[in-house]
Amino acid sequence: MPWTTLVAGCAAGTGLLALLAYTTSQALGPNVVALTFLPAVAALAFVPRDPFRPAAQAAPAPAWLTSAGQTLLAVPVLAVTCWGQLRLMDHTAIRPPGVYPLIAELTGWCAVSVAIAAGCDRSRYADLGGAVAAPVSLAIIAITRYVPRIDRLLVTPPGTARAVTIAWYIVAAAALVIGCAALRDRWRRYTRVLRRR
Amino acid sequence: MSMPAAGAGARRGRDAEDGPGLAARADARSPGGARRVALSIARVEAALLARGVLVLAGLVAGGAVVWVFVWPTEPLWWNAAWQIGYGQVILAATVLAAAQLAAGRARRDGMRELYRSFPVSPATRTAGHLAALAGALPASVLLAGAAAILIQARGPIGVPSPWVLAGGPLLVLAAGAAGVAVGTRLSSPLAGILGAMALLIVFTQSGRFGEFSWLFPWTTPAQLGSLPGPLTGYPPGGAHAVELAGLAVLAAVAALPGARGRTRRRMRLGAGILAVAAVCASCLVQLQPVPTAGLIRLFGAGADPVAAEHCTISAQVRYCLYPGFGRLLPAVQAPVRGVLAEVPGRPAQVLTIAQDLSLSDVDQALVHGHSRQHLALWNAELTAGPTGTAAAIYAPVGYWPSTRFALALRTAEWAVRLPLPGNLQTGCVAVDQAREAIAIWLAITATRTSAAWLQAGQNVTAEPGGGFISVAFVRKAPVILWTEPAADYPVTPGGPQTTAVGFLLARAMTSLPSGKVESVLDRAWPTWLNWRTTDAQLAAALGIPVPVVHIPPGLSRPPATGPGVAPPPSALCTS
Repeated sequence: MPWTTLVAGCAAGTGLLALLAYTTSQALGPNVVALTFLPAVAALAFVPRDPFRPAAQAAPAPAWLTSAGQTLLAVPVLAVTCWGQLRLMDHTAIRPPGVYPLIAELTGWCAVSVAIAAGCDRSRYADLGGAVAAPVSLAIIAITRYVPRIDRLLVTPPGTARAVTIAWYIVAAAALVIGCAALRDRWRRYTRVLRRR
Repeated sequence: MSMPAAGAGARRGRDAEDGPGLAARADARSPGGARRVALSIARVEAALLARGVLVLAGLVAGGAVVWVFVWPTEPLWWNAAWQIGYGQVILAATVLAAAQLAAGRARRDGMRELYRSFPVSPATRTAGHLAALAGALPASVLLAGAAAILIQARGPIGVPSPWVLAGGPLLVLAAGAAGVAVGTRLSSPLAGILGAMALLIVFTQSGRFGEFSWLFPWTTPAQLGSLPGPLTGYPPGGAHAVELAGLAVLAAVAALPGARGRTRRRMRLGAGILAVAAVCASCLVQLQPVPTAGLIRLFGAGADPVAAEHCTISAQVRYCLYPGFGRLLPAVQAPVRGVLAEVPGRPAQVLTIAQDLSLSDVDQALVHGHSRQHLALWNAELTAGPTGTAAAIYAPVGYWPSTRFALALRTAEWAVRLPLPGNLQTGCVAVDQAREAIAIWLAITATRTSAAWLQAGQNVTAEPGGGFISVAFVRKAPVILWTEPAADYPVTPGGPQTTAVGFLLARAMTSLPSGKVESVLDRAWPTWLNWRTTDAQLAAALGIPVPVVHIPPGLSRPPATGPGVAPPPSALCTS
């Protein structure tokens, strides 16, 4: 279990948010909290990888248990990180904004990161693990935030809080299904050679 | 990655007493040999960096960011050069991550012990990684060059600051050096990713720190695009470039491992001290307040723009533009002339079209270090808005050509005698008045604007499932409004509130031959200017049906009034 990586990512984001909270007089909004949660999401991309999976596949226990267990162990750490950052945001705001869309968005980000990490683990880039999964996750998160038409569904504003919350929980559920399917997949998947030699 | 041949043919596993091996190791340890090895490493690593996926992705993302910021705004070089830096920040973040991965590769692959057995010192290898950062420069220069070409093609105002443009590549080099420094100590890929994210987070949040925002690697100056020109020390391009260069040298010194030999240690210490001194000196320069004379001129130009501008009179319209904005004159004249050409009879007074400053409040980065009296005076001048000239329309600096339609509409509203409120007043509503539809039609015709853009997501027919609905209550009756696009860009004074019916009627008029509409208007122009002439009369004269807008049941009554509950009711335009 890459505890150091996970804790470093969570601590880095929370530390940065704390620094912003105590050095500026302006309130911190949900967008700032989302931004400082990204290091934790990037660290989560390193968690599902099991470096001993080829050996574990020969054992009686299912090989996906390790990856799934590591991911489950990371959930409380992420929850505490999210709670801490929301408390910091409340501390700086006179009237704290509603956080349900934000929590849904962060949940969706985490699920997408796990799904991508599990997918990378089944590809030719398995040895690189989080080094590939983290940038890909961050790129997808940037797309959901800034590409027109997509941001109408997944960002408030322009989307409504209720619609965005539902959309992100749907994304999280879909990402978890994909992630579970990838974890259970025993074989690495490589692209086929397109030309016959 | 396989290490290039260390030195001139040093081979692993040879007997230490072998003559050629000894000679090769001695050559590798010599200054000239070490330099050759470093250059070999730099060549290979630079090639990997230049074509690496991370750097290329950073280039594409940086280009997209530059496009998003530069394209919609008025091309003012003192602002656009700084906006090019936004894309350079994205590229710098990816270069940081890529450099960290490259420098930490030996540790991650468990090759440290192997490399330690080579005659080349770790410092030489690190120097090679640092020199390899030159591989990221082509991407940075390409980004800056392409952005500069894009901006130049739009006919910008002003000239670019070479210091600000040079700041981009310096930022990329500094970030790369920081990546190498991190990679020589922390090999986990997460370290580079965290470093890149720290750079991005710090960049996005730098605007919170007032005058200290200039000290960050890059920042987003809030009001630079609203100024009629750069001020002395705002932005502090030269000092900022020196700061970035100092940070790059400091990161490079930090990346190098401990040196052997007193001379080398002294050289590194000296370089580090010089870099720290340069950074500190440049920070002090950047924190200097903007000279008072410049700010007095700036805020005076905001309080009475016409006095500070160059004016020309053409066809009974006075056009006033700030110095340096002369090339905008034909573009500003076009919509105004287009409107007035269709108006049979216009008011006798001369209309003034001028620029003003759209500074809603004073940026701390602009006015820090000045007395409270000055601050209070400048805030008061900004709040009051432009004074002096009656029959004047002001377009804010930094938003052309987004304000083109608003300028045409305001001119048309003046021509049809619709009352234009003061800067801080809410406009009246010209409910069921033909002159409102005529004003909108004049503006659409003069600017050749598409109806889809004008509607812009608004549900002007109030049908279920459409876009947003804007409502006002006039004499307790609900009126569906149409909000002109680009209403965020404030042309002052801010015109009467326009109705959905007026917009729909004007849109229907655009589908008629313009000659027919002109002949109807010419026949009874004074009648159409009367506020009692209705939309139905205009529609009947043109032979088109009156548009119908249904009021949704939930909006049929005005909401209860009270503090924080609902806006006050709107007045009917009766003059």
